[in-house]
Amino acid sequence: MSPVRRFLRYLRPYRARYLAGLACLLLATTFSLAIPWTLKEAVDALGREGAHRALVAYAGIILALAVLHGAARLGSRFSIIGAGQWVEHDLRRDLYRTLLRQPAAFYHAQRTGDLMSRATSDVANVRALAGFGSVMLSQTTLAFAGTLIAMASIDPWLTLWAISPTPLLVVTIKRFGQAVDDQSTAVQEQLGVLSAKVQENLAGMPVVRAYTMETRELDHFARLNAEYLARSVRLARTQAGFWPLMGLVGGLGGLIILWLGGRAVVEGRISLGAFVAFNGYLAYLAWPTVALGWTLAVARRGFSSIQRIAEILDAGDSGGLTAPDGARPISSTISGGPETAPALPPSAYDARDASVPAGAIEFRHVTFAYPGRDAALRDVSFTVPAGALVVVVGPTGSGKSTLGVLLARLYDPPSGTVFVGGRDVLDLPVGALRGALGYVPQEAFLFSRSLRENTRLADDDASEARVRAAAVTAGLAEEVEVFPGAWDTVVGERGLTLSGGQRQRVALARALLREAPYLVLDDVFAAVDPAKEMEILRALREALRTRTTLAATHRLRIAELADWIVVLDEGRVVEQGRHAELLAAGGLYARLWRIQQIEAELEQA
Amino acid sequence: MSRPDDEVLGKAYDARLMTRLWGVTRPHKRLVILSLVLFPLTAGVELVGPYLVKLAIDHHILVGDWVGLTGMAVLFLITLVALYLLRVAQAYVTQLTGQRVMHDLRHALFAHLQRLDAAFFDRNPVGRLMTRVLTDAEAINEMFTSGMVSIVGDVVTLTGVVVVLLLLNWKLALVTFALVPLLAVAAAYFRIKARDCYRVVRVRLAALSAFLQESIQGVSVIQLFARERQEAVAFAGLNGALRAGQFRSTLYDASLYAIVEAMGSAAVALLLWYGGGEVLAGALTFGGLVAFIEYTSRFFLPIRDLGAKYAVMQAAMVSAERVFALLDTPPAVVGGGHAGGARRPASAAVEFRDVTFAYPGGPPVLRECTFRIGPTERVALVGPTGEGKTTVARLMTRTYDVTAGQVLVDGVDVREWDVRALRRHVGLVPQEPFLFTGTIRENLVLGRDGGNDGGGDGSGALEAALARAQAARLVAGLPGGLDAVVRERGVNLSQGQRQLLAIARALIYNPRVLALDEATSSVDAESETLIRAAVAELLQDRASLIIAHRLSTIQSADRILVLHHGRVREAGRHAELLAAGGIYARLYEMQFGREPA
Repeated sequence: MSPVRRFLRYLRPYRARYLAGLACLLLATTFSLAIPWTLKEAVDALGREGAHRALVAYAGIILALAVLHGAARLGSRFSIIGAGQWVEHDLRRDLYRTLLRQPAAFYHAQRTGDLMSRATSDVANVRALAGFGSVMLSQTTLAFAGTLIAMASIDPWLTLWAISPTPLLVVTIKRFGQAVDDQSTAVQEQLGVLSAKVQENLAGMPVVRAYTMETRELDHFARLNAEYLARSVRLARTQAGFWPLMGLVGGLGGLIILWLGGRAVVEGRISLGAFVAFNGYLAYLAWPTVALGWTLAVARRGFSSIQRIAEILDAGDSGGLTAPDGARPISSTISGGPETAPALPPSAYDARDASVPAGAIEFRHVTFAYPGRDAALRDVSFTVPAGALVVVVGPTGSGKSTLGVLLARLYDPPSGTVFVGGRDVLDLPVGALRGALGYVPQEAFLFSRSLRENTRLADDDASEARVRAAAVTAGLAEEVEVFPGAWDTVVGERGLTLSGGQRQRVALARALLREAPYLVLDDVFAAVDPAKEMEILRALREALRTRTTLAATHRLRIAELADWIVVLDEGRVVEQGRHAELLAAGGLYARLWRIQQIEAELEQA
Repeated sequence: MSRPDDEVLGKAYDARLMTRLWGVTRPHKRLVILSLVLFPLTAGVELVGPYLVKLAIDHHILVGDWVGLTGMAVLFLITLVALYLLRVAQAYVTQLTGQRVMHDLRHALFAHLQRLDAAFFDRNPVGRLMTRVLTDAEAINEMFTSGMVSIVGDVVTLTGVVVVLLLLNWKLALVTFALVPLLAVAAAYFRIKARDCYRVVRVRLAALSAFLQESIQGVSVIQLFARERQEAVAFAGLNGALRAGQFRSTLYDASLYAIVEAMGSAAVALLLWYGGGEVLAGALTFGGLVAFIEYTSRFFLPIRDLGAKYAVMQAAMVSAERVFALLDTPPAVVGGGHAGGARRPASAAVEFRDVTFAYPGGPPVLRECTFRIGPTERVALVGPTGEGKTTVARLMTRTYDVTAGQVLVDGVDVREWDVRALRRHVGLVPQEPFLFTGTIRENLVLGRDGGNDGGGDGSGALEAALARAQAARLVAGLPGGLDAVVRERGVNLSQGQRQLLAIARALIYNPRVLALDEATSSVDAESETLIRAAVAELLQDRASLIIAHRLSTIQSADRILVLHHGRVREAGRHAELLAAGGIYARLYEMQFGREPA
């Protein structure tokens, strides 16, 4: 879809507002052009009988026109600028919805800062185009057309003369406009270079200090700073020539009116009033003329922003992944990027009532690689029987976390490899699958909201008692209740900073609150001290009995409680069995166990 | 996203800040004076045009003097051209002044940042400092281009118009001025209302941005808990509030403009009614009336825009406040006069005497830590993670100052050393090999222009150092060799390549004492072999402290210090410590497995 068509599609719901705005603009232009006309009549009346009374009448008319003009102008701005704000609102709403539907592979390929700038500054650029820019474009067109008509009806020849500098205007805008554009881009680019330098210097400060590079860094910065100055000054020189030139061209029109119009008055071809009116009309054109360059820049920026926003919206529109009816996804596990990783259609989430039966979790010969990387899992097979606790252990980077990622379909596994309750996860609606899953990720993400809201993510209506019960099980309740705000304590950047362990326990409570048949714990106790870990494990035991649980960990205490242990190394299953058997076998598990023992000993040393 | 201090409103004028700003501007005072001359001059010439029209009407058009009219037209043309030239000069000079002041401010800020200490950078995130150097400096520039100087021009315009109108017809002038208080009140009222609305819009935009950013970062949680709909509803609330806020500000903003425009036209009506009477009574010429109409319109714009300029000044003052606060932050680490060369023969290259250290607001990381490193001794520092090993290296280069005790280098307390001399004497290789954008050569000779002794000059010495650092083949293999371009943070090089380059860099820097924080990131087997050999070369003939992760480095150390709970708990050679079966033996087993018997 072309940017213009997409833009118009967003305007369509507000076409009534735009039409009303245009009508107001038309009225405003008419009223304001009528003022010099009235002035003309008034001036001409000065020389006639009963001038005094006529003057009062004309002054009254101008006053009335002024008020009407003001009202019409207000109307046009409210409706069109208001509509522009609605367009921005809608665009941002759609952008947000699209973002929420993007799969992990999409975020893998995008930087947060870039997405943010599309949702904020690009959207604002579109608003400028749809709002004030549209007002200016229409107003300028109407002003030129209206003035031309009014002047031509007074004296066509003089009008022709008055507008004779206009081609000069067009040439000026064309020549300088491009130069200003190019040079502003050059300035912006240099600003980018300059900020990259500052960022690098600040980030690399330890090295700068260690190698006493301060002077060299300052020299380098000074060169870039000087280049920025040079480019800005070049732009300033161009702009300094540009804007006054617009004024000069307008002034030339005034000069022509003064000279040729004056002669026409002398020769009696036009009245003195007409002369005054001509001056008024030219003055009326001054501002739209000066603003023309700016208006065109707003339009250009707006359309290029639409294009950038469309890249995101189209990533969501391209479809292809239709989970609800069980069709196979076309997104492959190795390719990434927004083009190849289409978002789930909204309907994929509407199937929460489609229940997923409780049962076993099964991995059958899973081989999986994240986009652009080596395989994270190689031919992994094991089963978590219904109601059992299976613990996956292994060193960092062994692929433990990926099992949960595939199970929850944050990334799609190859078909026929991951099963829940006997069904391929790819055959289940994503919403239903995730609804049946309590998932506690390694990095507990909390929102800047109250602890209650953070815990109730799974169920906004969960009762206070249920929230507390989940928190007790997660070993969180006591700590929360001594916070000054208790459950209303807001966490995050502007609130209370929780420790890593506390955050993990909030995430655990959050998952437990969702009374789901399956539970995935991804290294949940990494930031919890051993004593606390034991306490939570004791409390958890009851909760685990009713769920099929897959726990990945590099801390082995939970493994002692496991029904079965799977040991992963570099993506492969190297051992599996029960705790005692694996210890006796003296393999990787036994070594990891020993390391943990030493850690405990060192703690006492 | 936005910090609370973005919402601070400053005074538009602050004498103390103005004095300091003048100090910054002083090197460009000729430009400032020039723009202070150009603005009133331009404003003055702008008033000439309408008067010429008046003269033309009264003396030529009305009397049918075509020749005289042509003369007027010529004068008008001259005015136009003069005005054009003045405007060009004025626009150029103000931009130039603003840009130069901004350039100087940025330079001063950047230079000051180079002098500040590590503790300062711990307190101030990179983003905030970047705002100071980039955005705040820009706001001060805007004060020059669209604030302060143009206000001077506006004042001249207003005064000029008042004088001319009074001269033309004082009664009519007073009638016109009657509108001014009305206009001023309307402008002030709507501007204040609009400003309050803008503030609300900014706050709402910040809230929306924060929400959005959180949604993007936590998108997997939202998806896992199938909260897309609830989040979309919450976002819709913020989005709607933002739109409503924007619309309110539009109401006030558009009203202001409409009212000013309507008042302009009302003034025309007033002039026509009262002025027309004056013309009929012969108290005002016809041309005078036309000129009156022209001048009145020029009268209104500066009054309308005064509010906007006030806002620019306010923003500039807030920025100036922050910029000067940063420039006034004194560096906490200030060097003494010792520039190297032992005052008395020192038996230890480095000595820690009862050093206790805590990061600001944190618990002690080192407690009464004492040890010495001989002039050519290789000392390996081992201990569990988070036990202050890196801190020891930092204290040696005076990245931070000790809380208690003393760190001596060459027998002299580091606080007595000139900081730069100390850091040339004691090299620090940080754990993460940080590369700068630029060429490989630039990345290697980082410190050489600092006048380091040894290492030699010319590319011959560079080649030799590369060979010793096992990096010659690596560099030769890059497109362009030494002139190959390193992209941001060295993303176009492998981890192993980056580590080798960092070692080569240290070899070229050639410090007497070296603190080496070995990288922990794993590299391929071939790189590992090269790095091992390079580290061995690097440790030749100098005193070194190595925060070791490689078995080979540890085994080849003259002495191993075991740091645990902030104290040196064990010291000795590898075999001795292993045999002792203490902390070291356990650490060793944890990291490398059981010693083969």
